[in-house]
Amino acid sequence: MPADATKELDLENGPTDEELVAETLKGNLSSYDELIRRFQARLYGVIYHLTSNHDDTNDMLMEVFDKAYRSLPTFRGQSSFYTWIYRIAINRTFNFLDKRKRRQGAMSLNEINEEGLPKFDFPDPIQRNNPSKSSMLNELQNKLNESMLQLSKEHRTVVTLFDIQGLAHAEIAKIMGCTEGTVRSRLHYAHKQLQKSLGIYLRR
Amino acid sequence: MSQPQDFTSLQKLLQLKRLETPGQEYFDRFVDAFHRYQRQEILREEPWYAKVVEVLFEPWVAGIPRLATVGAAAACLMAGIALMFGPMGSGTAQLADGKVAHAKGVIVASAEKNSSAQIQPELMDTAAGGEVTEIRPLYVNGHGAVAYDSQLAF
Repeated sequence: MPADATKELDLENGPTDEELVAETLKGNLSSYDELIRRFQARLYGVIYHLTSNHDDTNDMLMEVFDKAYRSLPTFRGQSSFYTWIYRIAINRTFNFLDKRKRRQGAMSLNEINEEGLPKFDFPDPIQRNNPSKSSMLNELQNKLNESMLQLSKEHRTVVTLFDIQGLAHAEIAKIMGCTEGTVRSRLHYAHKQLQKSLGIYLRR
Repeated sequence: MSQPQDFTSLQKLLQLKRLETPGQEYFDRFVDAFHRYQRQEILREEPWYAKVVEVLFEPWVAGIPRLATVGAAAACLMAGIALMFGPMGSGTAQLADGKVAHAKGVIVASAEKNSSAQIQPELMDTAAGGEVTEIRPLYVNGHGAVAYDSQLAF
């Protein structure tokens, strides 16, 4: 393939994450902004489904991108940037959850009230067109969050990455630094626990 | 034998959590908010122990492989134990013929502080197969004792 054609293809697909990292390290800060845009929603999702709190998620997300930016010179490309930043996000969130647990004591279901739980941010058409459906979904969401919070942080992470974010077992294993077998076994255990607590909402 | 469990309904239910998002407007503003956060962070000084915590708990972020961290921690521990329980001394031992064995080689008493000296025959036998070899002294102390790096002769 001629060099020009390759260049054209790259321009169509946009730069890879690793190319953006290299550009950032050269001092092109807008490249890091592009990396943020690429990962902000996914990392928000991971942190949020682990913490179940939007304010904490916002703070954590800032911290994660700041930490990653400052550590970028040490990023050696042994793993993909994607895996690397996910690991930072998960590790930081785990530390945060441990601190929160120590601060508040172990969270029990009795301590979770409706006000403490986040609300669904439904797309507008659902809110406007079907308020009763929206209310039913809110109730379901509360129950879902309660059930998720009963899982350990490791089990919650595999459920988040596999069921909610749709990552493959192998990718999750790389991110969590464990084997695929461990991922599968954690997932199976978590599914069993969730099935038990959400049984009444599940149609056979 | 129990049947494998079917989690299809549960997985569909879990996908509802994808709707729990702050919306596009939040993400559109996020980069600007992040720049403001970064400016504040630059002004805030990190405590000295933050780096230690980072290296211990997030070595891959600090650019240190996990194995290297464990290795370094183990080496520090061993060094600490050796310091506490090991024999006290300068790492030298007096030999019968007046020479001093040193961890870095053999110290030979010498009247002059030459930059080179002839190696003793017994050391030469093991080091250079019986030939007389001149080696550069590793260091010369104030008493004219010369230490040779025995590895230099090999």
